[in-house]
Amino acid sequence: MRGLFASRVWTAALVSGFAVLAALPFVADDYSIGVGLALLMWLALTESWCVLSKMTGYVSLGSVVFYGLGATLVVVTWQKVPLWVAVPAAGLVAAAFAALVGGPVLRVRGPYFVILTYGLAELVKYSIIAAESAAGTASRILFGAPDLATIYFAMFALALAATLLLAWVSGSRFGHGLRSLRENEEAAETLGVPVVRYKLAAFVLSAAIPGMVGGVMALRSTYFVVGQVFDPMLSVTVIAMAVLGGGDDTRGPLLGVVFLALLSELLWARAPLLYMVLLGAILVVFVLLVPDGLVGLFDRSGRRRVAASKEAS
Amino acid sequence: MSLLETLLSGQFLFAALVTGSLYALIALGLNLVYGTMRMLNVAHGDVVMLGAYGAYGAFALLGVSPIVAAPFVAALGGLVGYGLYRGVFRRLLASSTPASAGRLEANSLLLFFGLSILVQNIAALAFTPNTRSVASLSDVWHLGNVAMTGNRLVSLVVAGTTCIGVAWFLSRNIAGLAMRAVIERREAAFIVGVDVDRVQRTSFVLGFASAALAGALVSMLEQFSPFSGFPFTIAGFIVIILGGLGNVKAGLLAALLLGAIETYGVALTSANLRSVLLYGSFVGALLLFPNGLFARRAARR
Repeated sequence: MRGLFASRVWTAALVSGFAVLAALPFVADDYSIGVGLALLMWLALTESWCVLSKMTGYVSLGSVVFYGLGATLVVVTWQKVPLWVAVPAAGLVAAAFAALVGGPVLRVRGPYFVILTYGLAELVKYSIIAAESAAGTASRILFGAPDLATIYFAMFALALAATLLLAWVSGSRFGHGLRSLRENEEAAETLGVPVVRYKLAAFVLSAAIPGMVGGVMALRSTYFVVGQVFDPMLSVTVIAMAVLGGGDDTRGPLLGVVFLALLSELLWARAPLLYMVLLGAILVVFVLLVPDGLVGLFDRSGRRRVAASKEAS
Repeated sequence: MSLLETLLSGQFLFAALVTGSLYALIALGLNLVYGTMRMLNVAHGDVVMLGAYGAYGAFALLGVSPIVAAPFVAALGGLVGYGLYRGVFRRLLASSTPASAGRLEANSLLLFFGLSILVQNIAALAFTPNTRSVASLSDVWHLGNVAMTGNRLVSLVVAGTTCIGVAWFLSRNIAGLAMRAVIERREAAFIVGVDVDRVQRTSFVLGFASAALAGALVSMLEQFSPFSGFPFTIAGFIVIILGGLGNVKAGLLAALLLGAIETYGVALTSANLRSVLLYGSFVGALLLFPNGLFARRAARR
């Protein structure tokens, strides 16, 4: 469908993009490194989200719950547990949470799944807020967090891992199973796809990296408020990026993330409300008019070009 | 007074009834729009929020009490619903092929979520993100040993009579019966000659009007901001999931149950847990009925 031509160009773009991002801390100032960090964070989150939601059609509006759990774990164990243990543990906790709730949650389908994941994330947020206020802590400050470059490279590794994970899932037998259950769950089950196990596996896989991302970002902000690390707008942004990008392989998230992360860099600090208005408008316009996202637009124009050159020869 | 006596007192019952009747009114509109259109309108709570701002505007600019403004706010809401239906949704539904309709239903939640974010942030740009409230009818009345403010009593009466009125309309009036037919079996209703387009238009107008009316009541009861609509949407969903699609009477009971869970839950624990209780009931309800609003319909077949 996509043709060798397109995929080779994309792989080259992807590799060179990561190469530029890897070199960034050696040449750029702190502000640019911060922008690069945000880009990598969104990339890690969105590529992970796609493992479940793009592949299976179970659109999750709750990816912030994994991020928040990871951040909370790293903050709570701060200076008690070394970071090289705490950050991977954040991923494990997020994955374990997904495994725990995945069974019953993934029985809920369609729009109900979307809103259930939102409700679940809010439930966890308010439960932790209640627990924190019962314990008498409103916020925490982390002293002696690692420097920006260290955080940047940790995030780089996570973004790369998420991209490779999605690339692997997208091309694997497992991924084809997920796509088949997206098209028709009953039919896939009849043909022998282990639907329940596959869905749960995708859910757990999509949770681990966001958990670690949350842990690393907690070190970046050094100031921890529960309401902030569980902010549902994070989930919304992830979805907007994925919907904007389109497709179900590594390309879509990349396009969507680059576009929206730069837009947010321009607008977020100066006009946060206007940024949110634009985010909402992008969701509406793309769902209604461009359901295949930017990748769909590129593919279509690419196909047209190929067709035109064939006609010419 | 022991804890048990406190809980059994009329005061708590009254509080639960006020909250429950408000939830019933909000769920009513959601039920009608969702039932006839099969689109999960997560922006429903934002219509409530806009209704509250409408009543606030009438109070701040004209000095009119929300209870006087309520019918006008409701009418305005209905008008907006009519405009949206004629301008956007009728075309959307008419132009959709079966394949694109399936995709639209799957994506409708993202669509409405985008709309919800749009409405909230445009409202925040227009009205500032600060919380507001309207002090009206806040004098205290005594009925037996129950103390109540006038605005709560009015809210209970208005929301209660509206819900009972609509329940009567759906079970007795021919137009109401047509609406229920569309909710239960859309194709069958079309075949036996129900004007589906008109039913959908009516349900849109009724849904938006009742949400705006609920908003006018909310403006007197609690503080609100451009972002306070979503919890109302969630409450509406819980009611529909528990009460069943198109079943307004069962919805009324479910709303009172939710009001009781919230009131007594908060009284037994702490005010910090209000959101935990709300979202907990929501997650619990969906996990109990994983097929969402269709659970009972499917079972009946």
